[in-house]
Amino acid sequence: MKTLQFLFAIWKANLQSVMEYRVSFLSQMIGMMLNNFIYFAIWIIFFDRFKDVRGWGVSDMYVTFGILASAFGVVSVLFGNAFMLSEIIVKGRLDYYLSMPKPVLLHAVSSRMIASGMGDFFYGFLSYALSGYFSWDGLLRYVLAMLLAATVFAAFLILTQSLSFWFGMMSNFSNLVLNAMLTFGIYPITLFDNYAKIILFTIIPAALMGAIPAEFIRVFTWQSLSQLLIGAIGFLGLAIFVFRLGLRRYESGSAIQVEV
Amino acid sequence: MKAFSKYWSIFQITLINSLAYPGELIGRSLMIIPFMWVFYQLWKVTFNAAGAEIISGLTLRDTLWYLMLAETIELGRPPIARTIAENVKDGSIAYILNKPYDFLWYQFSAAMGETIFRAILNALFGGLTVWFLVGAPKHIEGFLIAVPAVLGAWILHFCINAMIGLSAFAVEDVSAFTWIYQKLAFIFGGMLIPLDFYPQWLQTIAKTLPFSSAIYGPARLFVTPTLELFISVISLQIVWILVLSVILVFIYRRGLTQLTVNGG
Repeated sequence: MKTLQFLFAIWKANLQSVMEYRVSFLSQMIGMMLNNFIYFAIWIIFFDRFKDVRGWGVSDMYVTFGILASAFGVVSVLFGNAFMLSEIIVKGRLDYYLSMPKPVLLHAVSSRMIASGMGDFFYGFLSYALSGYFSWDGLLRYVLAMLLAATVFAAFLILTQSLSFWFGMMSNFSNLVLNAMLTFGIYPITLFDNYAKIILFTIIPAALMGAIPAEFIRVFTWQSLSQLLIGAIGFLGLAIFVFRLGLRRYESGSAIQVEV
Repeated sequence: MKAFSKYWSIFQITLINSLAYPGELIGRSLMIIPFMWVFYQLWKVTFNAAGAEIISGLTLRDTLWYLMLAETIELGRPPIARTIAENVKDGSIAYILNKPYDFLWYQFSAAMGETIFRAILNALFGGLTVWFLVGAPKHIEGFLIAVPAVLGAWILHFCINAMIGLSAFAVEDVSAFTWIYQKLAFIFGGMLIPLDFYPQWLQTIAKTLPFSSAIYGPARLFVTPTLELFISVISLQIVWILVLSVILVFIYRRGLTQLTVNGG
């Protein structure tokens, strides 16, 4: 309960910080929504010409794109430093969080809000509303699926960026796997054969961020829910374990700095 | 000639500089591999579903090589808008302005220096991936014929991105403009779907805009290297480069009148 209060306090402070520059905040939020809309137009053009990809149509793309955008947005807004964890580790900036009486990982990743993520978050809901699959119970499933997909995504970021404890700066690798995650997550899963699907559930769990949550939103099945739950709990557990293991190797940066 | 030599030196310095961190350079270029693999999966299924060897004049092999060059152009270009916007916002533009060279030419030379090796490595990794997946390009000479058009594409990208960067004179944050420009280039440039697959009305609009000269033109020329197409792509590029350069210089001069340098 105390941890939750602490998190809310951090998120409130982050929000106040980004709202300091309101024009910039609004331009980033609206700009990201527009950006997503224009990007999605490519899929509208594609399905207008080719109708469906192995049973996957434009309505499915609306839901998949929407859930991926919302999950990405949630992580950007609430745990923005998850994208920069590698840099924080390498530059010795964990010193600050280690000196505080709060959970190090949680404190570190939640200490930054990426304003454009708000645009992703809202766009996702809009995309779902336009999909033709909208229903009120579907909306509840959307929220649940979004939280689970966001958990998988945040865990994946923490996991890959924590490798910096062993290998130093990993910005290229992190960017590569992040791009792979988003690229594979957005494409119809019916494109991929069984071997590729194994990769998309494990090494790059893009299916747990796009296709499976989308399937769960369209129709409730215990199978898709359990896949999401196992994925979220498993990846989060693994990410925390790897981070803690890496933390033992952490060397202080001995840098005097102010965290803003 | 003397004026040109200093920009040539800036280009050379940035070119050598871009090799300072080979791991970084290679790591960044590897991104093209998963992209090409996903494109292959998508278009293989699409061609199969359509039951056709050729769609709008392109085979699966042409489509993949087209997308490889389109990705190379896109992934090869450095973040010019962000660099210029940072120069404007943090005031470092003042340090460049008092040097004996033009700010825009300086940025252009530096950007081209950064682009060359990025593009070569992207073309190498992307090319090897596509070669492995669908075989050699039908017209291997298309690579050489497309080179002038690729250069024209980068000049066009520079003009538009420099304009976005210079908008930092008026707004606090230009990132929203860069995202939107990128996505417009994706759609109207034929970055993920060749423009030939678009409905006719959209093709007509897209092919007259500068985005198509910056991506579709060079990529299509690579897979269909004919003299007519070469003349058409290059002449449209020249027109857009002239128009956008004039607008860029105008925006730059307007921006300078708003610049206040407080010493330091």
